[in-house]
Amino acid sequence: MSALSDVLIVAGAALAMIGGIGAVRFRDLYSRMHAAAKAPTLGLVLVAIGAAIAIDTLLAYTTLLLVVILQLLSSPVGAHALSRASRRQTPVALDGPDHLTRDEAAATSRDHSAMSEPPE
Amino acid sequence: MTSLALVLLAIGAAGFLFRLLRGPSLSDRVVGLDGLQSIVVIAIIVAAARADSGITIETVLVAVLVGFVGTTALSRFIERRGN
Repeated sequence: MSALSDVLIVAGAALAMIGGIGAVRFRDLYSRMHAAAKAPTLGLVLVAIGAAIAIDTLLAYTTLLLVVILQLLSSPVGAHALSRASRRQTPVALDGPDHLTRDEAAATSRDHSAMSEPPE
Repeated sequence: MTSLALVLLAIGAAGFLFRLLRGPSLSDRVVGLDGLQSIVVIAIIVAAARADSGITIETVLVAVLVGFVGTTALSRFIERRGN
């Protein structure tokens, strides 16, 4: 049982380290957020399972379950709020058509015909 | 084995700290701060498993909630202020 918790803890810490390396090496803000928001969350889940197996008390089980649920709920919300807030400030190379700018322009100009054209 | 986990976490924390100190924009710094908060949370859990006692586990709850509120507040700040 101890070997399983060791493996889980080291795997979770390795995932968090991968997130840190991605935050250094990726080229723009959204790629960095891709690395920095998702990898440490999965790392936290693995480490929490491993630590709950290692500590093995009811307090540790319940508290770590609550921590995992809170992190799984709050991490995507925080990342979404940050990407939404910084979309205007940070230019990024899109690899597809910019639907969001088109929709916003249509909404501000009250020209609803632009909203109803099919996506290209 | 938890010592190895702490070393890996230190490498990851160095990466996020680099992004916090020299991100080109404020959003990059927020990414670094958010990741650093996740690393701190994981490190507290690893230290609790290392000491084999769940007495420091409650601080993790506070750290998760403070990190979420901080990221969201900074996002609102960026949205209003810009860059």
